[in-house]
Amino acid sequence: MNSNDKLIEFRDVHLGYGRKNVLSRISFEIERSDFLGIVGPNGSGKTTLLRSILGILRPTAGEVRRAQNAVIGYVPQRDTIDPIMPFTVFDVVLMGRYGRLGLFRRPSILDFDKVQEALAHVNIEDLANRSFRDLSGGQKQRALIARALVTQPDILVLDEPTNGMDLASRSSTLELIKHLHKDDKLTVIMVSHLLSDVANYVNRIAIVEDRYFQVGRVGEILTDSNLSKLYGVPVTVGDFQGNKIVVAGGKNV
Amino acid sequence: MSDIEILRTIVTQFPFALIGSVFAGLLCGYLSVYVVSKRVVFVGATLTQVAVTGIAVAHLLFPHESTDVVSLALTLFAVVILAQLLRSHDISRDSVLGVSYVVAIALRILVIQKSPASEVSEIEAILKGDLLFITQHQLSLLIATAAVLLFIHLLFQKEFIFVSFDSETATTQGFKAGRWEMLFYATIGIAISVATRIVGDVFVFGFLVIPAVTATLLARKVRSIFWLSTLVGALPPIIGLYLAFKLDLPAGPTAVATASAMLAVSWIIKRFK
Repeated sequence: MNSNDKLIEFRDVHLGYGRKNVLSRISFEIERSDFLGIVGPNGSGKTTLLRSILGILRPTAGEVRRAQNAVIGYVPQRDTIDPIMPFTVFDVVLMGRYGRLGLFRRPSILDFDKVQEALAHVNIEDLANRSFRDLSGGQKQRALIARALVTQPDILVLDEPTNGMDLASRSSTLELIKHLHKDDKLTVIMVSHLLSDVANYVNRIAIVEDRYFQVGRVGEILTDSNLSKLYGVPVTVGDFQGNKIVVAGGKNV
Repeated sequence: MSDIEILRTIVTQFPFALIGSVFAGLLCGYLSVYVVSKRVVFVGATLTQVAVTGIAVAHLLFPHESTDVVSLALTLFAVVILAQLLRSHDISRDSVLGVSYVVAIALRILVIQKSPASEVSEIEAILKGDLLFITQHQLSLLIATAAVLLFIHLLFQKEFIFVSFDSETATTQGFKAGRWEMLFYATIGIAISVATRIVGDVFVFGFLVIPAVTATLLARKVRSIFWLSTLVGALPPIIGLYLAFKLDLPAGPTAVATASAMLAVSWIIKRFK
């Protein structure tokens, strides 16, 4: 990939596990400073696509091209991390530096400083010595975002960052992600099944479903007919004080 | 026999048993932190059974070969299969561990059934966990194994910790999680294979669980848990040997019972603190 603004490019990609095909003929690209939301029903292949973006899953056909030296900062679903050991928030965020250290090297003062910076950046520097497992959902999410930030990423990839959060935590987490995109100019990819979250924060949306994969601007993709076809129930998209609302079941907005 | 006489007898007549059981406890105690935190306690149980099966297979099929080598080879083979199964999503983790545990026990019983009576008594001695007759060769092998394995663990501590904590994110940062997992399980397999031959399966399985559980009850930092777990691994074998002498009990199970008592006390301290 040349030095233009494309960070990741999918060209006619097929994804699956063994003989099972999950997604076919996917083509799209992610450019620098993009904010892409990936949505779709449960089991539609969002995680499969995410794993391919992360480079964990190789395509069964087609090509995924990445800009040279592009660093991905990954924020997994926080529920997948359930440590028995009392790792402090500092310990957890420091793990984000391990990939830069290489074999045999131990973290240095520089790495510790980067961790402090990242903690301050997501406003949890006061939680540095707290046990990660004792944090609230919103605090854990911030710690995992800080861990992704210390990798000094070109792309921040978040998997269901607001899943299971209360309204206040959800809103503050989304505002933080918006800030990282807008002010820090980070390219962001966010997977979510919460359409309203995605609709009101991202620039572009990818609808994931085998034989029905679409990518485009929010207004183009998030239409009643598109979503009704995707979810198999009548869906209405409306506006409330400038925010998009998505309602299922044929109700008026 | 007075307490002083018991201690003097242990130190003067059974020094290999004393030092060997301490080293086995120390090694298993350290590794138990990973075994417990990765939620793979049954891997320890399974591999101890595989190691015993390996000893029985060696007696039955390769009477002229070293039982250590055959047991180690079989355990490492089981490690490769287990690590693959645990990483694949075809069978649930619980099922993989449960099935491999019961298969290992069944194999052990079948192989022992077909072994000559003279060999069965040696295998039964291992199962009983009588530490007293550790030889100088076994002690040297155990100390060398513990030194190499602990060195590997200290050298690659950040890799083992990251992959254990969040293998998916570690993979996105360029860590070959599968290879690190394989190396981790190989170190566990080697430790189990060597230690089981010397101190018995009950001792090894017990000390791959109890020290870490005790340490997590008492310590608040991960680093302290590693230290405390290693210490909790090293201490009960000494008390166990003393009690085994005093009460005429097999030393291995007595050491495990002592460690369990320490765990119970730790739980009470934690509960009422």
